[in-house]
Amino acid sequence: MLRPAPRRTQRIGAYKQTAAAYALLAPSLVGVLGFLLAPVVIVLVLSLFDWKLLSTPEFIGLANYRKLFTDSDVWHSLLVTLYYVIICVPGTTILSLLLALLVDRKLRGMKYFRALLVIPWMATPVALGLVWSWIFDPGRGALNQFLGLFGVHGPAWLSSPVLAMPSVAAVHIWQFAGYNMLFFLAGLQNIPPSLREASSLDGASPVAHFFSITLPLLRPTMLFVLITNVIGSFQAFDTIFVMTEGGPGDSTEVTTYLIYDEAFKKFDFGYASTISVLLFAVVLIATISQFVYFERRTTYEVSG
Amino acid sequence: MKLRIFVYAVLVTGCVLAIFPYFLTVLTAFKGPGQLSETMPWEPGVPPSTAAFHRLFASGFGGYLVNTTLVTAGITLGQVVFAVLAAYAFARLSFPGRDALFWVYLSTLMVPPVVTMIPLYLMMQKLGLVDTWAGLMLPTMLGTPYAIFLLRQFFRGIPADLEDAARIDGAGRVRTLVSIVLPLSKPILVTVTTLAVVANWNSFLWPLIITSSEDKRLLSVGIALFKGEIGVDYNAVMAGSLIALAPLLVLFIVFQRFIVRSVAVTGLK
Repeated sequence: MLRPAPRRTQRIGAYKQTAAAYALLAPSLVGVLGFLLAPVVIVLVLSLFDWKLLSTPEFIGLANYRKLFTDSDVWHSLLVTLYYVIICVPGTTILSLLLALLVDRKLRGMKYFRALLVIPWMATPVALGLVWSWIFDPGRGALNQFLGLFGVHGPAWLSSPVLAMPSVAAVHIWQFAGYNMLFFLAGLQNIPPSLREASSLDGASPVAHFFSITLPLLRPTMLFVLITNVIGSFQAFDTIFVMTEGGPGDSTEVTTYLIYDEAFKKFDFGYASTISVLLFAVVLIATISQFVYFERRTTYEVSG
Repeated sequence: MKLRIFVYAVLVTGCVLAIFPYFLTVLTAFKGPGQLSETMPWEPGVPPSTAAFHRLFASGFGGYLVNTTLVTAGITLGQVVFAVLAAYAFARLSFPGRDALFWVYLSTLMVPPVVTMIPLYLMMQKLGLVDTWAGLMLPTMLGTPYAIFLLRQFFRGIPADLEDAARIDGAGRVRTLVSIVLPLSKPILVTVTTLAVVANWNSFLWPLIITSSEDKRLLSVGIALFKGEIGVDYNAVMAGSLIALAPLLVLFIVFQRFIVRSVAVTGLK
C-alpha cells in the first residue's frame, strides 16, 4: 500500500512542473508563435492572394509567382542585393580578422584600442547613414575636401550609379568590422599558445602558421561571422533608406527596399508578400549552403 | 621593435577612422549655418553655436527623444524579463515537448524581420493597434529567441544543488529564480540587456511602418524624415544624429569593459 503513494505525488509533481513551465513560457510562446512563426505562414498564404489596399483579398493561386519570375525589377533588386552582400561580407570578414590578429597581443593600451574599434557597431544606422551622407557630400563633404588637399577632385559618391553601392557598402563594413573582430579575437584566444611555439620550433613562418594552423582552428568562428553577416547584409535597409533611397536610378534598390515600396507605398500586400517569400528562400539557401560548405554543424546540445 | 611601431600605427589609424564620423557629427552639430560653408568639415565652428539644436527642439525633437527612451526601456524590460522566465523553464524544468519547443524557438532565429513585417502590420491592423504604443512595442517585447538561448546556456552552467537547497527550504520556483539564479547570472544579464537596448534604440523599419502620428514618432524615424521635411540642413541633421548617437555612446563609455567582454561571449557557445 505504500508503493502507489510516492508515484502519485511524483505524477502530481510532474503535472505541477509542466504547468509551472508553461506558465513561465507563456509570454514568449505568444511572441514566438504569434509574432515570428505565424507571420511566416501568413506571408506564404498572402503570396497566393491579390490584395491591394481597400480591395478584398482574392485567391489567385500562383499568379503572383508567375509575375515574379518575369518581373525585371525583382531580379534586378536581387542582383543589387547580391552585389551588396558580395562587397560587405568578404570586406567585413577579412578586415575584422586582420584587426583581431592585430589586437590579439599584450601591448599597453590594447583594451582601449579594442573598445574604440567596437564603437561603430552601436551607432543608430539611420543616424549613421546621415553622417556618412554628409561625409560623402560632393561639395562640402569631408571626404572630397580631404581629397582636395591633394589636388584630387572627388566624385559625387552617392549620386553616381557606379559609386553609390560601394559607398553604401563601405558604411556597413565600417560599422561591423570592429564588432566582428571581437568574435575572431575570442576564437584566437581559444587556440592554445603551445601550437604557436610548436610551429615556430618547426621553423614555420608566421604566414604558414596562420594558414595551416590558425585559420583551420578558427572555422567555427568563421562560420558564425559569415552566417550572421550574410543574413544581416541581405536585410540591409536603414542606411540605404537615408543615404540613397534606392537610387540613383535603381542602382541601390535592394530587395528589402522593393518589398517596403510595394507594401507600404503601393499597398500591394499580396505581391510584396511574394517577394518576401523569395527573399526568405534566398537567405535560407545562402545560410544552409554555408553550413554544408563548412561541413561542421554548430552543436547546440539540447538535452542532457 | 619595428613590429610594435607598425601595430600601433595601424591601430591608431583604425581607431581614428572608427571615431572620425562621431567627431565630425559633433563639430557640424555645433556650427552655425554660416560657419558650415566657411570652415573645413574637420574644423570647429568658433564660437560654437547651438542654433541647430534650437531648430530641432522647436520642431518636436524633444518629444521623439522622450518617446525613444520610454519605448526602449519598455521593450527591453519586457524582453529581458520574459526571456529570463522562458530560459529558466528550458534550463531547469522537465516537461513534455521541451526539446522540440526549444528547437522551434531556435529555428525562428532564421526568420528575417523584413519577411514578417507585412503579416505583422496586417495583424496589428486587425487588432486595431496601428499607430498605437501597443502596436509599436508588442511584437518584440515578449522575449527574443536569441536572448532566451543565451540565458538558457548560462543557467545550465549554474550548479543545480544551490537551487535544490533553496527549494527544500520551501522557496517557490520564482523565488529560487530571483534570489539564487539571477544574482549568479549578472554577466549574461548585462549582455542580454545591452544587446536589447542597442537593438531597440536603433530600431527603424517597424516604427516607420506602424506609427504615423508625430506624437508617437521615434528618433530614428524623426531624423530619417528630417531630410525630406527641412531639406539638406546639415547642421540640424547632424545635431539630430548626435542626439540619437550620444546616449549609446555614453552607455558604452560607462559599461565599456562589460560590453566588449559580453559581445564576445555571444559568438560561440
